[in-house]
Amino acid sequence: MNDDELITAVREAVADVHATTPVEQIRRRGRTVRARRRIPGLAAVAIAAVAATALLTASHPASHRARTELMAWTVAKQRGGTISVTIRELYDPAGLQRTLRADGVPAVVTFYGQGRPPSCRPYAAGRGLLGKIFPAPLPPAAAVVIRPSALPAGAGVYLNDSSNPYGFIGVSLGLVHASKQCTGG
Amino acid sequence: MGTAPLDFAEFYRKSADGCLRAVLVSVGDLDAAQDLVDEAFARAWASWRTVSAHPAPAAWVVRTALNANISRWRRRRREISVPDPGLVADPPMAGGITGSPIDPRIMTALMRLPARQRQVVALRLILDLDTGRTAEVLSIAPGTVMAHLGRALASLREELMPERQQESPS
Repeated sequence: MNDDELITAVREAVADVHATTPVEQIRRRGRTVRARRRIPGLAAVAIAAVAATALLTASHPASHRARTELMAWTVAKQRGGTISVTIRELYDPAGLQRTLRADGVPAVVTFYGQGRPPSCRPYAAGRGLLGKIFPAPLPPAAAVVIRPSALPAGAGVYLNDSSNPYGFIGVSLGLVHASKQCTGG
Repeated sequence: MGTAPLDFAEFYRKSADGCLRAVLVSVGDLDAAQDLVDEAFARAWASWRTVSAHPAPAAWVVRTALNANISRWRRRRREISVPDPGLVADPPMAGGITGSPIDPRIMTALMRLPARQRQVVALRLILDLDTGRTAEVLSIAPGTVMAHLGRALASLREELMPERQQESPS
């Protein structure tokens, strides 16, 4: 049995399997999914509003405007100058990149495993330095912390989604040489 | 010429069978696969703006279904204690094959493969993704995809060949 015959046999083994659920039933289930999401979403908006007020009253220099991308990702400046990034949905990497840059992080962001852009050269760094720049637990968490003040001159942050073997959303972080083409400056 | 926005119903009609077969090959149980795929499509519908922009929406669905399977497994692991650790190592759902429209001999051989090899088979051979996209979905290197596929085919051939040889008169 050659490879082609084997592949055909595997495909034929499940060829008679057909999805039987009507699309309307999928839509109904989808509405339930949306409703499930709405509850924590509204809670997150409320918490974010309280947090934003607290940040403003503390005269924290939040360079970014109030988040409208809460469902997909959140960028928040923290005390001590660190920046937390929480990713819930792999959506609008360009917006996340703009927000990080606005917060003073020379950054390049790609999702869906698109990999490091050709204009970006990796910046060699040891574990010690990486631990200072990215102090929070790293993957598989989808929430990370960046300490911009620990970035060496000429270095920028490369953020990519990093699925674990089962495809959970996680964040992969690395360093690249900062440049106008790569990290915006 | 512009591309019309992908319609969910059309996407479901075209890709539901392929997604179901891919998830079935991964999890080994038709009822479980159907429910996982339904859930994944429901999530796709709920996030259609994002999913329709994905370079491979069907891969998104399969990945989401496999995620949901792991989440279920984790929930069950918390909820019930497994008396015999050996049970966990059993191939997924050998019993679910009975009475289904699936070739039991090949499904049994598939279920004997390691999970990662089954996922590669599901994505590469059933969903017909190319090596690069399969690598992206599983977050592994393209070379690793090819290695898993090669090993999977070798194992399947080994499992299936003896019976084939017996069938042909010598």
